[in-house]
Amino acid sequence: MKVRLEQLTKCFGNVTAVRDFTATLEDGELVCLLGPSGCGKSTILNMLSGILPVTQGNIYFDDVEVTRVPPDKRGVGLVFQNYALYPHMTVRQNICFPLEIQKVPKAERLRRAQEIAKLVHVDALMDRRPVELSGGQQQRVAIARALVKRPRLLLLDEPLSNLDARLRLEMREEIRRIQQQTGVTTIFVTHDQEEAMSISDRIILMREGVLQQNDLPQALYNEPANCFVADFLGNPPINRIEGVWRDGSFCLKDGSFSLKLTPDSPIENGRSVILSIRPESILAAQPQDAVFSCPVSRFYAMGKEEIAYLRFGSVEVRAFVPAELDLKEGDRLPVSLRGRGIFLFDAQTGGRLI
Amino acid sequence: MKDKPQAPDQPRRFRAIGEAYLYLAPFLLGLAIFTLYPVIRVFLMSFQSDYNYLNGTYAGWSLENYQNVLTDPKFTQAIRNTLLYVLAVVPISTILAVVIAWLLNRRLHGSAIFQTAYFKPMVTSITAVGLAWRLMYNQQYGILNYVLSVFGVSKIGWLTDPKWSLPALVIFGIWNILPFTIILLLSGLQNINELYYTAARVDGAKEGRIFRRITVPLLAPTIFLVCIVNTISSFKVFSELYPLFKGDPGPVYNLYTVVYYIRYMMMEKREYGYAAAAAVVLFLFIFVFTMIQLFVKKKLRNRS
Amino acid sequence: MRRKFANSIAYLVLICGAVMMVFPFLWMFLCAFKTHYEVTQYPPQFLPEQFSFENFKKAFSMAPFLKYFVNSLVVMAASVICTTITTILGAFAFSRLRFPGPEVVFSVLLRLMMIPFEMLIITNYTTIVDMGLYNRLPALVLPFVSSIFYTYILKGFFDTVPESLYYSARIDGASNWRYLWRIMVPLARPSLVTIILLNALSSWNSFMWPLYITSDAASRTLPYGLQVFTTEAGSSPELLMAASTVVVVPMIILFIFARKFIVTGVARGGLKG
Repeated sequence: MKVRLEQLTKCFGNVTAVRDFTATLEDGELVCLLGPSGCGKSTILNMLSGILPVTQGNIYFDDVEVTRVPPDKRGVGLVFQNYALYPHMTVRQNICFPLEIQKVPKAERLRRAQEIAKLVHVDALMDRRPVELSGGQQQRVAIARALVKRPRLLLLDEPLSNLDARLRLEMREEIRRIQQQTGVTTIFVTHDQEEAMSISDRIILMREGVLQQNDLPQALYNEPANCFVADFLGNPPINRIEGVWRDGSFCLKDGSFSLKLTPDSPIENGRSVILSIRPESILAAQPQDAVFSCPVSRFYAMGKEEIAYLRFGSVEVRAFVPAELDLKEGDRLPVSLRGRGIFLFDAQTGGRLI
Repeated sequence: MKDKPQAPDQPRRFRAIGEAYLYLAPFLLGLAIFTLYPVIRVFLMSFQSDYNYLNGTYAGWSLENYQNVLTDPKFTQAIRNTLLYVLAVVPISTILAVVIAWLLNRRLHGSAIFQTAYFKPMVTSITAVGLAWRLMYNQQYGILNYVLSVFGVSKIGWLTDPKWSLPALVIFGIWNILPFTIILLLSGLQNINELYYTAARVDGAKEGRIFRRITVPLLAPTIFLVCIVNTISSFKVFSELYPLFKGDPGPVYNLYTVVYYIRYMMMEKREYGYAAAAAVVLFLFIFVFTMIQLFVKKKLRNRS
Repeated sequence: MRRKFANSIAYLVLICGAVMMVFPFLWMFLCAFKTHYEVTQYPPQFLPEQFSFENFKKAFSMAPFLKYFVNSLVVMAASVICTTITTILGAFAFSRLRFPGPEVVFSVLLRLMMIPFEMLIITNYTTIVDMGLYNRLPALVLPFVSSIFYTYILKGFFDTVPESLYYSARIDGASNWRYLWRIMVPLARPSLVTIILLNALSSWNSFMWPLYITSDAASRTLPYGLQVFTTEAGSSPELLMAASTVVVVPMIILFIFARKFIVTGVARGGLKG
């Protein structure tokens, strides 16, 4: 099912939780709503499910307006962060519950529950109660319960945040698999960028109730629309260097470092700008290929690579260097820069310049 | 100024207000008829002189009921008896209960059996056990006098001698209220962190000392609350009288209590105004103690 | 060594206390089986010569105890059913549904809780008489149908159920009504059991209100019936003890099986607010 949100706004008293949110989800897509906590992503989810009334704007499911349709008439499945399994019912009863409400005949109910349980791999646990299940199993049951009524839209509210790190990896692949097998349009809320990058078709990044960028995961990473997007994505985080634009170059205010860049449209001299460089875009080079060389101040080992802190004039930046280089503190490292992963933003607006 | 629709900031109200009152209807209806209305009514009635219960007429508004009740020797006797009863039952039962609760809290073997034994009077009809006490109190063949005779005490007319009737009532009252008191204190004890005891034991304190210096002070708020709760319930002493004295207020009509007086005025004298005034007096007593209770609770909550 | 000594002292005190607490019951049961001569002789005889149910038969033939027993059961059942339903609905409304000023209403109710029933009895008596229910069993149920205390306990439990369960059920299409009975009530089983037991006990043992509101044998419940029996059998303690045993034993059995629920319920009741 196609979902369209048009200028959706939600106010709690004087606080605006979501402002003028417009986005479209194509049928069968898995879209992540990503952003720091309190950015309004769960609010959007709750408005989509119908739990929260909308202040302004409209929601369309397949071009039919549902803004004021009560939750049970929307045909959505919602999985809560704490799973909200009914503790007094067995797994089977939990999964059957939505069908029971819809007055589906008992035989049909059991058949569908069995079918969906098989899909999410809990068919061996049907007679257990939620307390007898692990976190990951509870998660699967919650998804099964949301899917059993064949929703047109599946909403997942931070579904992995109550799981430990290893299970989280396993479950996010599972969610992707289940989503692809059922083909249900899915919205997945998370504050974990890695989670979002790894499973979604598209990511909508939000900040303080406002949509920042709605794009493919890689596009979000490689072509951030603004400084916030660039800062939010990437681990280790992007290097953020504040300075000014002077004569076709980015310069530190104290003049200790400058870098020549070619903008698409001219930038006036003296404008405050932010240079953002992804750590992997700074490469250790042979001396003859180097753009410049800089001192190494300290290291961290991270598996096969090392993170080196390099001094660009008076500022320190992170870069990945191969462990074989066998650097020592104080060495000068010749570096070159990749074309990708280097951005320039306006310091005031955060808008992208390069 | 933009025209902005005011939206509710609470989760969706599912057919809210009407439905909520539908759910509340039986509860509120019962409450209105059998609690709210009677409270107001009894206050009003206590100021209506010469209230006629047959047709609901009255002569006028006055303090006459209060004047008559407060000068009625039966009522002053009732107040005196009730106060004496409270003053005897509450401290004695509390002290006994502290000791027993403390012992029960030591997690000895068979504590379930002990609990069953101690708590039984709480679940049984006061009338039925009162009759058993009546038999035990019997002057001629009661087992109580027999046990006392072993210690050389001559037969006491517990239920026939006006001098002994109040003590008989008090002993029965203590026995009756003890389980409830123990339960409250036990739950208070169970809320005390084990660490305090362990720390004291590490410091080499002996059991008796731990009891006096740690258990009792930490239990003090609970003890106080228990005293208030028991004071309030002892003020209402009534049902205890019936089985002991065959429905009379003592052997020579010397054991009126406030609640018994209310019944007497209502059912025998048919003086509803007097009964109402006596009920308001009872309420005032209870009100004062409830206020103390709330005040202390608030203080305790602020402290913790 | 010291510890052992202290423990044996503790046992000794506890056992003495337990004997004193249990003795009236024991005496009641023993005397219920004694002959008139055995009960009234001095010094008292501890055990009856032989255990016979003669006294029970006699007591039941002298007064309609079977009728009293049935009345007590009916009143208890009706009281438990009505009060529990009222309490469930009220607690759910206070806990989950929205209406103007629930906090205010609820704090007023908690204040009302301190009003003693003894004070309401005058008006309730006239109300029941006006309703034409004097001497009829509904009179013994109606005034206790709305219990602030039970509602308070149950609301406290309902408040602990996560909201997400509610929304989850709503999205699945369950109405408030369905959610209440299908999810909330089964979850609240321990609290409900406590409420039901406390209510059953107080209904079964209720004495003062029946004393006011019933006057003939057809509508008497056991405790009041027993009190009336003292005028007929006042000089036959063995019959009174047999009748008392009938009143007491059902609740003792109930208590033995449900001690935990009753004790926690009473503890909460005493320290409420």
